[in-house]
Formats: sequence, C-alpha cells, structure tokens
Amino acid sequence: MTNVETFKYDNRIVRAFAIATIIWALVGTAAGLLVACQLFWPELNLNTPFTTFGRLRPLHTNAVIFAFVGNGMFLGIYYSLQRLCKARMFSDALSWFNFWGWNAIIVAAALTLPLGITTSKEYAELEWPIDIAIAVVWVAFTVNLMGTILRRREKHMYVAIWFYIATAVTVAMLHIFNSLSMPASFLKSYPIYAGVQDALVQWWYGHNAVAFFLTTPYLGLMYYFLPKASGRPVFSYRLSIIHFWALIFIYIWAGPHHLLYTALPDWAQSLGMVFSVMLVAPSWGGMLNGLLTLRGAWDKVRQEPMLKFMVVAVTAYGMATLEGPMLAIKSVNALSHYTDWTVAHVHTGALGWNGFLTFSILYWLFPKLWKTKLWSVKLANYHFWIGLLGMMFYVVPMYTSGVTQGLMWKEFTADGFLRYPNFLETVIRLVPMYQLRAIGGLLYVIGIVIMMFNLYKTAKAGQFIGDEEAQAPALEKQAEVKRERGHRWLEGVPVTFTVLTTIAVIIGGLIEIVPLYLVKENVPTIASVKPYTPLEVLGRDLYIREGCVGCHSQMIRPFRSETERYGEYSKSGEFIYDHPFLWGSKRTGPDLHRLGGKYGDDWHYLHMEAPQTLSPGSIMPAYPWLLTRRLDTNALAGRIKALRKVGVPYPPGFENGEAQKALFTQADAIVANLKSKGITNTASDREIIALIAYLQRLGKDIKEAPAVAPTASAATLNPATP
Amino acid sequence: MIRNVLTHIGGIENYGILSLCIFVAVFTGMLVWACCLKRARLDAAARLPLETDHDQPGKTHE
Repeated sequence: MTNVETFKYDNRIVRAFAIATIIWALVGTAAGLLVACQLFWPELNLNTPFTTFGRLRPLHTNAVIFAFVGNGMFLGIYYSLQRLCKARMFSDALSWFNFWGWNAIIVAAALTLPLGITTSKEYAELEWPIDIAIAVVWVAFTVNLMGTILRRREKHMYVAIWFYIATAVTVAMLHIFNSLSMPASFLKSYPIYAGVQDALVQWWYGHNAVAFFLTTPYLGLMYYFLPKASGRPVFSYRLSIIHFWALIFIYIWAGPHHLLYTALPDWAQSLGMVFSVMLVAPSWGGMLNGLLTLRGAWDKVRQEPMLKFMVVAVTAYGMATLEGPMLAIKSVNALSHYTDWTVAHVHTGALGWNGFLTFSILYWLFPKLWKTKLWSVKLANYHFWIGLLGMMFYVVPMYTSGVTQGLMWKEFTADGFLRYPNFLETVIRLVPMYQLRAIGGLLYVIGIVIMMFNLYKTAKAGQFIGDEEAQAPALEKQAEVKRERGHRWLEGVPVTFTVLTTIAVIIGGLIEIVPLYLVKENVPTIASVKPYTPLEVLGRDLYIREGCVGCHSQMIRPFRSETERYGEYSKSGEFIYDHPFLWGSKRTGPDLHRLGGKYGDDWHYLHMEAPQTLSPGSIMPAYPWLLTRRLDTNALAGRIKALRKVGVPYPPGFENGEAQKALFTQADAIVANLKSKGITNTASDREIIALIAYLQRLGKDIKEAPAVAPTASAATLNPATP
Repeated sequence: MIRNVLTHIGGIENYGILSLCIFVAVFTGMLVWACCLKRARLDAAARLPLETDHDQPGKTHE
C-alpha cells in the first residue's frame, strides 16, 4: 500500500514567467517592426549610434528568441513538469533564481546590444560576462528540472519531459562550446576559433539553437498542452518515441547547411545537406502526431480559440520543417541563401510555430491559474485572425522578395554580362515588399496588444491561487516495483535517460566538429594572408560594433554570377586570422569580401557620412558619429594580446609601443590621402580612419598571392569552382 | 598554396560511410524497438497528461 501525499503546485513562478512572456512578446515584435520599417525608411535609424539597424536587429532577434520564446518555454515547462511529475518544483529558490537571472540577462542584452557591445555571432551576440551568467542560470534551471524529475510521484516520464531533458542538456553543450573566447577587456572578447572553424562551430550552434531552444521544448509543450486542450491523448505514443529519438539524433548533424557553397570543406557541406533532408521524417512525424491528436475533435477547434492557435502553430511547424530541408539542398540554397527567403522561412517558424503556440498556451493557462473563464472569446478570435493575417502579410512578400532578389543577382544578358550589375538596383526593387512586410508585422503586434488586454481582464476577473493543493500516491521504491523492460523501463530511469540523450546529441556533434577542430591541415593556409595591422584590428572591431555583418556578407560563393559581381570567390585560407568570422548570412547590401581597393578612401569617408549622396536610393543608415568620435587606441594592447593568445602570430611585445606606432603611421597615410582629395576636417585618431583601413584591406591578401596552376586539390577544396 | 583538404585527415575516405553506418544502425534499432512496444502500455502512458486532471479543458465563454 502506498500513502497518498498532499503537496502544492507552485503557480507563482508560472505566473511570473507568463507575465514576462507577454511583455517580451510585445517588446520583441515591436523592435522587429521598427527594424522592418528602417529597411524602407532609412531616416528611422534616427542618425544615432544606438538606433541603427545593425545594432537593433540583434536586439530584435534576441528579444524574440531568448526573451519571448525563452520565457514562454519556462512558463510551459514549470506548469507542465509539476503536473506530469505530480510534484512541486525541486527548489523554489532555484525557480526564482531562474526567473530573475534569465530576465536580468535579457535586460543586459537590451542595454549592451544598442551600445554596440556584441560578438557579432548570430544569436550568440552577448559578450563573455553575460555568457557566463547564461551558463550559471541554465545550470540552475537544469538542476531544478532534474531535481523535480527525481522527486516525482509518477514513475513514468511522459514524452514532454524527454524533450525538456534534451533541451537542457543540449543547449548547455552548444552554449558553452560556441562561447569559448578570450577576453580582451571587460566587455570585449575574441572567439578561440578562427574563420572556417568559427563558422562551423557558430552554425552548429545557430542551427541547433533553433533545434533545441525553439523546437524541442515547444514540442514538449505541444505534447502536453494539445492533449489537455482537446481532452484526448496524443495520437500515437509509439510515434512520439520515434519522433523524439530520431529528431534529437539527426538535428545536430545538419548545421553545415547554413554554409553551403562557402569555403567550408565539401564533405561537411554534403553531410549537413543529407541530414537536413532526413530531418523531414521525424519532424513530420511529430507534426502529424500533433494534428492527428485532434481526430474526432475538430468541432472543438471551431469553438476554442486556443485550439485554433495550436492547429496553426503545428501546421506552421510542418511547413517550416519541410521548407528547411528543401532550403538545405545545395541547388535551392544557391538561390535562396543571403536573400529574404531565409527571413520568410524563420518567421514562419517564429510567428507561426513559437508565437501561436505560446499564445495558445497563454489563453488556456490564464483561466486555469485565475480560476475563471476567458474574459472574451471574441477578442481571442480577433487576435487569431489578425495574427494569421499579419503572418501572411509578413511571409508572402518576403518569399517574393527573396526569389526576386536571388534571380536578379543571377541574371545575365544575352551578351554574358550581369543584367543588374549595380547591387542597388536589386534592393530598390524590394522596397514595396518591405513595406508590405511591415504591415504584416504591425498586424501581428496589434494582435499581441489585444491579447494583453484580454488576459489582463481575465486575470482581473478571477482569483489567483499561488499554491495549488494536489494529492498523489508516493512513488513506490524501485525494489517494490516489478522490473519493466524496453522503453517503458527507460522512461522510469531519468538519469540513464539523460545520459542516453546526451550521447545521442554528442555523436552528431563530434562527427561534424572533430575533424575541423583537431586537424590543422584541414584549413589550408595561403602564404600571402597576413594578420590585420593594429589600425585594421580596431577598424574591424568597429565593423563588429556597428553590426555591419547583419547586412553585408564577406563570403563570395563560387558562382559566375558572384565572381562577376564581386571578384574571386572566397577561400578558406583567407580567414585564418578572422576572430570572429564575418561571413554573414544576409545580403541586404552587397558582399564586401573584395571591397579593398575598389573605391578610394574619400569615397568610404563620404559614404559612411551619408550613403544616399553617393548611392541615391540606398537604404543604408548614415554613420556620422564615426567621423567625429575618437578611436580608443588604449584598447589596442589588450586586443593584440588577446588575439595572440588565440593564435594570431603578432610578435612578442608588439603591443608595447610598436603597435601604436604602426597604427598612427597607417592612419596618417589615410588622412593625408583624404586631405589630397579635399577632405581636411579629419584626423588620424578618428574612428572613420580605422574603419577605412579595415574596409580597404578586405580581400586584398589573395591578390598578392603567387599564381598557382589549378590542381586537383584546389578543385577538391571548392568543388563547385566554375 | 592551397593544399588538399581531404588527404590530410587520416582515414577521411571512410568518414562518410562510417557516419552513414552509425546513423542507419541507430535509426533502425530505434525503429525496431519502438515497433515492438506493447500497445496497452503505450496507451496508458499517452493518457498521463489527462489522468492528473481535475481541470478538464476549460470551456471559454463570452
């Protein structure tokens, strides 16, 4: 006989995460709306450093991913885990540390990113002290999660919990490995990896951040909240087992699909492509499992706004996970990469899957937590339709824009010349699409405001119970339980389950990373490629600070359409001193890898001051402050030292005076050159001079390389060589 | 001076096939395992989110 125990669910922590989720939903999407408008209305950059597109775009992505979806994930996990384990969270202190720590990190991001404090690596922009804080908070969450599971009163771990475990383990692994860096000062660091290695590790992280931060926890939530809302068990538990193991095992291999046709070795590209295509199977298994759960209950979908949101969310998951593997096919990627197509793809996932699933949970949860009914079903329905319309207005113009721009970049005349040799022509054509997209974003934001009002009124009408009493029999001791077999046994042993999950995600990670990580010869060196000069180092850091990488790639793919437009395609050996790599993932502006020497110093000076004077119709923000702000040359010594520690061969003691001298010699030459062109109101210690030095260096090293006859080995390095 | 990527990793020629074998073995094993599970137990597990519920799916109202 077992004793029935009485305990209390902690609803206060769920309420805290719910409120944070709602606030960050508005902040994140409103920031997105602002940057969307900046793309057709450059004046909205407001001519201040803190409000330019380059700095606000990462603020938007971080706010949506880590603030909105992050809090939404914790909200769902803290509610469902307690019920599935029939236990209160392991530690209230850890729960609140998780809440305040996570949200303090988000506030730190909201402060540092507009200040230009960034690593420039997508979705991992935060600098090293904040990275350490993320690791600490994540460990607290994991301990709380595992502690609760170990103290559960229900022997069987439901499928949702497996997804939570996979999330906790894998995000920790990804975050730690991608954040390994050498501090140069309190808020500046350089990654320990360079060039190709840095790119591979970053996209191993970036891809799997999508997988294990935006997908697996939300799949767990789907497996819990969809049966709850429909009153029916999941369609096939067997399928959910296959879904889980196949998904976590395959996802981790697919990272290199973000680097197709780049200087990444071909075997890694092919591995990423093949595994991406295979991902369709488990993803659609999960999607169908979700939709089929509603079999026989579709009448409820008409009545319950919560289920409407859920159905669209699961459908968006299905669409995004079919499209993702298609985009990972090299020939499709050749057209889509660097264009708005990718933006459309991720927003199908973010607005549809994460957004709508979160709204669905909030509409279901608020009446539960406040022991009342939803204040207005009609308003929730309005939110649903306006949100759906907003999503359509967002993604359809972005697909159109992406395909249009991709085709325009590649179009040749009958005589064999580029039809649109001026990149700006391909941008101006997209402006109407950007305007339509902003309308979509506005509708989506309005939907969130409607939801806020509805949920506020719901909460006000009800009575919140912070500690909800519940009863359950104590878990029988292992010795008293008849030994189970197979997966049933595995679902009763959380530690073994966690170890197996970890092994599953590590296998793919190792296969993908180890060869590039350990074998030095894997990144071929080019003799003429030299480390950046001190002035160029500081200029490069300014390029990172201003977020130029958000709009400009530095990776020319081996297509004739690209070599005609930009010059020689990029080689992996050109990036061996690039800490971090700055290949970028989007070309709102042109690629800059062969920019060096293309224009004069004076052109860059005037262009940064007011881009539209030299390129009428350009949507690039102006950077007038670069012309007046003094360059922080005091930072140089620390940066040279840090770069030397990560492998850049600056001679010992170079930072003690010699580097400063070299810096000013180069700066003086640029200033003299500018003066000869009539630009007299500048000086060697201005930021613009360092940026010009860096831009003029881009892609020049290889031009000084001795001519090498094409060989089989070169062809292997970049097999797509035209 | 661009050197061949692949010849400098020992045994890289086996790398692709090794990856494929690991994947196929794990995937097939998992599939067979899942298919052999007993339906009654799976159904019981699937009902877990519902059985704890004293709060059946909320009816909303206007």
